[in-house]
Amino acid sequence: MAEMIDPFEFKQCISLLKSTGKKAKNLRELRDAIAVVSDESIFHHTYQYFLKGHVLEYTNDFAHWAGESLEERALSEHLSNIDPYAFRNIDELRHELLNVIDSYLENFPEPREAMIGDEFYFNETITLTFPVGIKVKNLAEFLIAVKYIDAAAIYYHFYEARVRLGVDDFSKWLEDSLNKKELSEKIRSIDLFMHSIEGIREHIIEAVEREVRTEMEVIER
Amino acid sequence: MISQYSGISPKGDLILLHKLGEKLNNRSFLHINSTRAGGGVAEILHRMIPILKDLGIDARWEVIEGDERFFDITKKIHNSLQGNFERITEDMWQHHYEVNRRNAERLDLDADAVLIHDPQPAPLIEFRKSGRWMWRCHIDMSNPVKEVSDYLIRYCSRYDAAIFSVAKFTRAMGIDEFIIPPSIDPISEKNRELTDEEIKETLNKFQIPTDRPIILQVSRFDRFKDPIGVIKAYRLVKKYNDCILILAGSPATDDPEGEIVLKEVQDYASDDPDIHILLLPPFSDKDINALQRAATVVLQKSLKEGFGLTVSEGMWKGKPVIGGATGGIPLQIIHGVTGFLVHSVEGAAFRIRQFLNNPEMASRMGEKGREYVRNNFLITRQIRDYLSVWYVIENKGRSVLEL
Repeated sequence: MAEMIDPFEFKQCISLLKSTGKKAKNLRELRDAIAVVSDESIFHHTYQYFLKGHVLEYTNDFAHWAGESLEERALSEHLSNIDPYAFRNIDELRHELLNVIDSYLENFPEPREAMIGDEFYFNETITLTFPVGIKVKNLAEFLIAVKYIDAAAIYYHFYEARVRLGVDDFSKWLEDSLNKKELSEKIRSIDLFMHSIEGIREHIIEAVEREVRTEMEVIER
Repeated sequence: MISQYSGISPKGDLILLHKLGEKLNNRSFLHINSTRAGGGVAEILHRMIPILKDLGIDARWEVIEGDERFFDITKKIHNSLQGNFERITEDMWQHHYEVNRRNAERLDLDADAVLIHDPQPAPLIEFRKSGRWMWRCHIDMSNPVKEVSDYLIRYCSRYDAAIFSVAKFTRAMGIDEFIIPPSIDPISEKNRELTDEEIKETLNKFQIPTDRPIILQVSRFDRFKDPIGVIKAYRLVKKYNDCILILAGSPATDDPEGEIVLKEVQDYASDDPDIHILLLPPFSDKDINALQRAATVVLQKSLKEGFGLTVSEGMWKGKPVIGGATGGIPLQIIHGVTGFLVHSVEGAAFRIRQFLNNPEMASRMGEKGREYVRNNFLITRQIRDYLSVWYVIENKGRSVLEL
């Protein structure tokens, strides 16, 4: 009898945006607010940056604002280089953000103010997750699903999963349930900061398609 | 009704709508605003109520009634919340309250969730009977006249939550404040696909020639929409590219200033035969749709804006758009990706010329814009968000909810 395989269930999430009531019009105010704002707000402005789906000059909202509104290009490069997934919790990430801003302020103590109306608004989100009604149990089904699923589902399994599990859902399932270690590593190694969600989708499709093609060519004896 | 959106709206939004519909099944959801026709709020409510009903929610829409003085006062309140100084006396506020009190007697305010749109009916909170009350602000309140916003916040802070279109419109009111952009309906008369015949019919009706590129701005005749600035930009473009300008707008019953501004615009356009100023009656949605589809470039050169949904309307039709960098317009136009943001008449003229001279770029941005609207600014997403807020308020304190 064939071995039972745990199916992969596609889910997605939406984020309901909520104001924290805090805003900053210059770098010092940004720094002071980052020090005290909720974990959810830090999470939103860093991890959830990719939910926007376009981009990709920067990797988080703080870098985006420093570059576009304060026109502090070097600072925005430093901030863009922060990988939120490299930290164990939000507080560690918060400290790194503060370190980068503090050292910039030491060298450039008087950065400009943002124009009126262009202040940084600290938001946070409430997340609603739900299954999208698609379960797959082999590589070919997985490939078709990834091709046509909403971008928000790719976000949920590829980005958001790392906060829950430390690794993306796709590569975990491919390794644990389908025993596809090599393919799993290939997907895990896609640089999530260098692509839009659609770009991530394309890379996954390419890797899985190659694997499916190889599988089809195998002659079973 | 909701099934009509399959293949148009993102599937995830439709799935979540059904799930929220199951959770909130048979519960009542009352919307109240101040006009049945004209303006974006009425337009979206016309479309939203049947969809909510189709999802199994007992949705109602009521409109408050007021005398001329009331709408004069609320227009002044509206203007001052958008940053134009107007004096609102205690007597005027009292009249504002009194008209709402009379409406509260007339209307059935009993519902599980009540969504009050804009400042006109905001005092109705004083007559709350039951349910969760949310105040929906569609106005750019980023730089209001303080005394006016402070007075209004006395009412607003009594709601369970407030909803703004853009983060920078939020005010510290001591209640939960959500950010939900408005939306367009892709299957409405205003946005559905049209045949070439239908488009031609509209152009013939208004005697608009099709031998040259068309620049279009659709909006109320309101100074914040800068119709004069649009004519100035057109005149700058006209030196280099022969083109036609259409300024089209509908009157709204809650906007007594419209006629004065229309007259100013007509005078300024003088007798230029290539400027077409169209005062469209309410419910001219199909004509607006046809004009947008016939346009070469869509403008929304607002100086102040609640959200500026005509931008999304243009983008949904695959048109290159140019918008004033104000209110919700920068949320729709990602500069250089889905269109161009401008800060001046000269900027608008320059970008129009760029589009007219680079049709390939215009169509690429138009395509990107359409996809961006599909994912972010369709009515299904907005209803999804309203129901989510209601659901979240009832499950207060949790930052992740599984459905």
